[in-house]
Amino acid sequence: MAEEFRDACRRIDEDEQAGLVVVTGAGDCFSVGRQSPERGAGTGQDEPPTEQLRARLSRLRVADALANLTIPTLVALNGDAIGHGLELALAGDLRIAAAPARFGLAEPGRSSFPWDGGTQRLPRLIGPAWALDLALTGRLVDAATALRLGLVNRVAPAAQLSEETARLAQTILAGGPVAARYAKEAVGQGMDLSLAQGLRLEADLSIILQSTADRAEGIASFREKRPPRFGGS
Amino acid sequence: MSAYATLLFEKGDGVAQISLNRPHALNAYNIQMRDDFAEALAAVAEDGEIGALLITGQGRAFCAGADLSEFGAAPSQVIARQVRWQRDVWGQLNNLTKPVVTAVHGYCIGSGLEIALLSDLRLAAADTVFAMPEVHLGMIPAAGGSQTLPRNRNAAAALDLLLTGRRIGAEEALELGLITRITPRSELLGAAWDLALNLVNQSGAPAGLATNGRIGPAIKSALRGGLDLTLPEGLELERRLALINL
Repeated sequence: MAEEFRDACRRIDEDEQAGLVVVTGAGDCFSVGRQSPERGAGTGQDEPPTEQLRARLSRLRVADALANLTIPTLVALNGDAIGHGLELALAGDLRIAAAPARFGLAEPGRSSFPWDGGTQRLPRLIGPAWALDLALTGRLVDAATALRLGLVNRVAPAAQLSEETARLAQTILAGGPVAARYAKEAVGQGMDLSLAQGLRLEADLSIILQSTADRAEGIASFREKRPPRFGGS
Repeated sequence: MSAYATLLFEKGDGVAQISLNRPHALNAYNIQMRDDFAEALAAVAEDGEIGALLITGQGRAFCAGADLSEFGAAPSQVIARQVRWQRDVWGQLNNLTKPVVTAVHGYCIGSGLEIALLSDLRLAAADTVFAMPEVHLGMIPAAGGSQTLPRNRNAAAALDLLLTGRRIGAEEALELGLITRITPRSELLGAAWDLALNLVNQSGAPAGLATNGRIGPAIKSALRGGLDLTLPEGLELERRLALINL
């Protein structure tokens, strides 16, 4: 599944028509990521077990493939996202959760070290105290708590999740596609910079956008009090 | 009293108040306001009698965003970039060492919200509507919004507002950390002045002296500076500032 997921992300990246991605799960659960890669015994011959584990982990990782997409990404959490499932969800831009869904970084009663970005993305999203609680104790939080913590952006009744997700997607797709990608870049890259550096990045990106037809259309539509028709250039 | 076409400027008791004053245009930020704001901020930075700045808006709204009728005409990118850094009004506001209180009401949209996010204490009237609509106009924020929004909550909350352009009320703005206080509309200005006066008096010095409000700027540089540092570097910054300011 990891390989297929990365391949899908590659194809989305190459598809110039794709303006937004929704990641969701079939059935009652988003993903509980039970397939935690155990350290193998190792053959002890050509490569040490650590190298084998490193290779196995990189085959299983999917979060970066999602995080590296330049278009907006929504994660519709139709059910529990635990362990690797949560790590994948953390790599999306916005998360919308079904009310019964629960979230945790570790499976209760099993100590496991996150290996797909969880130790880095979770504290950046919800702060270190809550991230450590989830990572160290295997605690599960419900959707309402996740909303309060900033782990998810929206909660919807389970029966309305896909409808709410589609509505959110339509709202985002009504914006300028180049501007949306640049906004994502400014926020994502800017968080790793000092504020002063981030302000310069934003200024440069906003000035590059001044040459786009979309910006001219956005301003014209505002003046003419009509919805804009963005062409994506 | 005011020397500016688009701002009201006054000072008293160690506090300067800049009030956006294009009420017929919901205080939409235009080129004249940029130039006035740059001059007023420079005056605030230089004036030893001023210990804190209060930013407000005249009329029905704090600020409805940039005036697109003026900023719409884009010169070449090279010139736009040159102009951006010749008049770096947002850098001036961000780098002001004196604490800044911003009180918003009515509409706090686009650059209006960005002004608030560049300031230190932010309070809103209960009726305030906030939004970051740039992406839906084919743009991105240009007064720091893409940087200040995620630093107040997280990247997901910032992208939620940026990508949807949706409007939120004061309660949600409070939950997202965009503001820290909500007051009834009629009490906003009084509450904002109380906060600003409290800032300049907290060193215990009498108002109007050049030494007053020493602690506010020190706390501001410790917190803001520290956010760009590693923890050990930040602790060292705090130790240095404590030696000077205790």
